[in-house]
Amino acid sequence: MSHKYYWEDFYLGQVRESGGYSLSEDEIIEFARTYDPQPFHTDREKAKQSFFGGLIASGWQTASLCMRMICDVYLLEAASLGSPGVDEVRWVKPVRPGDTLHLKTTVLETRASRSRPDMGTVRSRSEVYNQHGELVMHMSGVGMFRRRKPGAD
Amino acid sequence: MTIKYYWEDFTPGRVFETATRSLAEDDITRFAREYDPQSYHTDVDAAKNSPYGGLIASGWQTCGVTMRLMCDGYLLETSCVGSPGLEELRWLKPVRPGDALRLRSTVLETTPSAKQPNRGTVLFLWETLNQNSEVVLSMRGRQMFLRRTPA
Repeated sequence: MSHKYYWEDFYLGQVRESGGYSLSEDEIIEFARTYDPQPFHTDREKAKQSFFGGLIASGWQTASLCMRMICDVYLLEAASLGSPGVDEVRWVKPVRPGDTLHLKTTVLETRASRSRPDMGTVRSRSEVYNQHGELVMHMSGVGMFRRRKPGAD
Repeated sequence: MTIKYYWEDFTPGRVFETATRSLAEDDITRFAREYDPQSYHTDVDAAKNSPYGGLIASGWQTCGVTMRLMCDGYLLETSCVGSPGLEELRWLKPVRPGDALRLRSTVLETTPSAKQPNRGTVLFLWETLNQNSEVVLSMRGRQMFLRRTPA
């Protein structure tokens, strides 16, 4: 498969933004029943009595949706080799049914691999905003990518 | 549900271990089609030719399973009122269809809330292990709990 983006195509300060992705009440409840069955994610009535005052999405669903936006914005067209992990994940504001989320991702650092001349890493900060422009989640993650020209510099 | 564990019950060094849970091939591809449609998560044949040599679960699905193990293991019996986030999350080994995952939660540190006398924060090390006792996922993160006895 040929790719549009290799490691060399990422540069410091590069910004990518996604369109809007909405989460319905049903999607929130369905995800939570499988992965995070705390009552403020699964039960509308109990959620009203909770600290959050209503149903909110599992933070893992917000993170997963952030991944989907990263895939759609560039990752599926990139020579990706996966990720070792992320740092500083923050769930800043609750995500509620009907919220429309979008992604802003910024490249913080690119580094050639010392051990693998055909690979490099890219650290990005991904921010998820709601329809009011409020930051609901952010994280800083590392992606590994194939190089267009192995060991060229 | 009755609350068994409050903030005071999470003392540094305390360990919680859970039962196991596994992901079938269908669970992996269904999650990935919705949230992480990279071909080594969605397509058995494409995955064979990938660096992973076969289908692997999205790291975010492993996080979801870890959360479910935590909920079933003890979290639903606690006074948990959410999480501000994680310091560090590492996907250390691929998770493949049929792997039997379990969670080990270790309390690292507890802090009373400076602003709210009825709650406190706990810093955990969460490690998800497979059937060979290999750590596949490791996270350090915080959760907030109500106190049994407000300060």
